[in-house]
Amino acid sequence: MQIRIIKPGVLSTIQDLGRPGYLGQAVPVSGAMDTLSHRLANLAVGNKETDATIEFTYGNIEFLAENDLLVAFSGAGATPYVNGYALPLNKPIFILSGSLVELKSNLSGCRTYLAIAGGFNVPELMGSKSTYLQAGMGGLNGRSLQKEDVLQSYMYGKISREILYSLKRTTSGFPSWSVAVSAFQSFTSVIRVIPGHEFTWFNGESLLNFMGATFKVSRRNNRMAYQLEGHNMQRLTDNELLSTAVCPGTIQVTGDGKLMLLMADCQSTGGYPRIAQVAAVDLPLCAQLKSGDEMSFEVISHKQAEKLYLRRELDIQQLKTSIIAKYSQNGAH
Amino acid sequence: MIEILNSKKPYEIYPLSEKAITIQFGTVISEQAWDKVNRLNQALLDQPFSGLTSVVPAYASLTVFFEPVEVARSSMNGTTVFDKAAEYLKLLISKDQDLIPSPRKIVEIPVCYGNELGPDLEYVALHNKLSIEDVIKLHTSAEYRVYMIGFIPGFAYLGGMPEGISAPRKQEPRKAVPAGSVGIAGNQTGIYPLETPGGWQLIGQTPIKLFDSNRDAPALLQAGNIVKFKAISASDFRELSH
Repeated sequence: MQIRIIKPGVLSTIQDLGRPGYLGQAVPVSGAMDTLSHRLANLAVGNKETDATIEFTYGNIEFLAENDLLVAFSGAGATPYVNGYALPLNKPIFILSGSLVELKSNLSGCRTYLAIAGGFNVPELMGSKSTYLQAGMGGLNGRSLQKEDVLQSYMYGKISREILYSLKRTTSGFPSWSVAVSAFQSFTSVIRVIPGHEFTWFNGESLLNFMGATFKVSRRNNRMAYQLEGHNMQRLTDNELLSTAVCPGTIQVTGDGKLMLLMADCQSTGGYPRIAQVAAVDLPLCAQLKSGDEMSFEVISHKQAEKLYLRRELDIQQLKTSIIAKYSQNGAH
Repeated sequence: MIEILNSKKPYEIYPLSEKAITIQFGTVISEQAWDKVNRLNQALLDQPFSGLTSVVPAYASLTVFFEPVEVARSSMNGTTVFDKAAEYLKLLISKDQDLIPSPRKIVEIPVCYGNELGPDLEYVALHNKLSIEDVIKLHTSAEYRVYMIGFIPGFAYLGGMPEGISAPRKQEPRKAVPAGSVGIAGNQTGIYPLETPGGWQLIGQTPIKLFDSNRDAPALLQAGNIVKFKAISASDFRELSH
């Protein structure tokens, strides 16, 4: 399967689940910002969760199907169209060779993931196909996608073949079922966080504001971090934090008292006090926030966050199993 | 969940996230803390637990990243993922102490000082009222501890620069500092592993690649290494660059 990029939009990169094994060498995790949407899109076409997808940012995107395609879109912020007809998200979709696919911005979010049966074929670097732009590494030649880029997929597996076979017999090109994203997360701007190690470095008023007030994603937001606007955090002490590990989801307080939420391409270490850590299950929600969006924080315990995480992983495995079961019973073709 | 600091257990152990746990050996930079971090790092390299993905040593802390599902499934002691990982680390620390020799690999880094490869060498000399030769002599005489790799891929935070060659950052950072540039900022010296904007005073350049994503171990330096700089000529630099 092959696509040709006609309009790349503001930022389109190849991503997978990143390189978690090189943090000690200061190589960021990278990977999909909204890992949940990336995984669901892959599962919908019969892929492995780790296969490479394209992460699109907003809309104004066009690509050409140079073969018949089996794809799925997941995420938020854009509506896909094929030859002018709107397509649903979170379903496998059969697209005929020669079709023009467009993504048009909507206000629901920021990032849409395109999974293709077999996964996108780009070289693996340090165990991942993810693009890390700051070092010009990974993905397609270490850069974002551009006009006329041609991307191919790997050979797809048995489940994808069964999905494709069943979709070719439909008139719409997609099945009646879809992945129920709402079963995994509810779209809310209340983000659950665990208190950070330096939580108590801030005065009571600041902590009340942190837990009660809303914060706005500033224009300074990218795949590395979001600066948040709102109440400034006042410190009780002038302790200096020795640089130590940080990770996606860490909320630091910079010297001017502002909150800085670290995202997928963040540095592996930092020296700003960490007021909180976004619960891993809610980080995909943060990935869909754009400049001007508001968010607030609800503090939960680390134990609760851990339970939510394990529960989420179990749900994803169950989804995977049910898709495999659905398309394994059709027999040989 | 949080250990109280006392003389018997001079560390604190806390979750960074659902996927990471930090062990902190005090709050100041010291030879002892560096040593403890290195020993634990080595112990984890020798005996990783199921699900471990990365270890990030820092000045006085070490953070272990893991896949919680694998840790939850493992037979390690504890009911929660955090407990399982924490118990394992505590056990390693209690066993460790003097058994594991602190690994101190010495890495020699050849540097061509001055001229176009080190355009700020003269400034550093003037700032410290030294000759250029004295700056090179002082910079190459010290043994530097690699405290941690951070900031950008392969960047080593080095400790131990002689105070006599410290210099403030440049007022205007350069838009692009070439990979391999050796610089000074305040009391720190460092090597740029990748081309990046930067405000350090550049005193020389190494032909050695500090970071190469196609190598098995992409970063040349690891926390716990000792770095020594060696002055080389421009012709040696050209030869080693190939």
